[in-house]
Amino acid sequence: MSEFLSQNQLYIVLIVTLFIWIGIVLYLVRLDRKISRLEEQFKED
Amino acid sequence: MNSLKVLSIILITFTIFAGITVPMVPQPQSIFEFPDIPGLGETARIIFFHVPAAWVSVLGFLISLYFGFKYLRTKEYNYDIKSVSAAGLGMLFCVLAMVTGSLWAKFAWGSFWNWDPRETSIFILLLIYGAYFALRSALGSDEIRARLSAVYAILAGLTAPFFIFIMPRVIGGLHPGAEGDSSGSIPIAQLQMPLNMYVVFFTGLVGFTLLFIWLLNVRIRAVSVEYQLLIKDQ
Repeated sequence: MSEFLSQNQLYIVLIVTLFIWIGIVLYLVRLDRKISRLEEQFKED
Repeated sequence: MNSLKVLSIILITFTIFAGITVPMVPQPQSIFEFPDIPGLGETARIIFFHVPAAWVSVLGFLISLYFGFKYLRTKEYNYDIKSVSAAGLGMLFCVLAMVTGSLWAKFAWGSFWNWDPRETSIFILLLIYGAYFALRSALGSDEIRARLSAVYAILAGLTAPFFIFIMPRVIGGLHPGAEGDSSGSIPIAQLQMPLNMYVVFFTGLVGFTLLFIWLLNVRIRAVSVEYQLLIKDQ
């Protein structure tokens, strides 16, 4: 296991970074949509 | 705006893939190899993420200055919202630049924090903007808060380029680009980067800038909605 980890360090870093990045993007897209919905509501009122 | 969001996702994803996985070899033969910088090794990859974060933080502070100025001229509350949103994001990226730089310093210089001029200047910058948010939260009246924080945003924004670009270059230090550094005191630290590193570096820079615009847009809209809700409740 430790050999596998030491040989593939860069790819493990890549996978962890990608997970974080995908999380940030999904959060941002959802937040963006929610705010758009709220703005629509205010326009209707 | 939507194409801008997609573009920022694509550019940063490319930077993550290329910046992390392209191998570093002593004598690069193809465009899919980066040169190994003696003494830095794999830690040199930080340049693709740390420098864009620092750049975006200065951008945030300057945008905060600009909208503070606009607020003082027009007295429109919208500009106060824009100014504080930009300052908040500038602060966020400033912390990111500091944390990534500190992690890098552990491996390149041997300690997380050793008061290098660069570390000292970013610390002072964080204190200045910490005081900005303390000032805002201490004032009750909307109008006074907006006016005072606009003045403070202008003063603080003027010091930001000084602390990021000038002070660390005038005083000798360990950070690339410090006074006496043979690689030259140019804003972008290592000018001897080969072309392929340049491409990844500038892709990251543009990607981070676009991401910042997106974040700023979301933040301004969120604060505006919050403000409208407050008015409605009263």
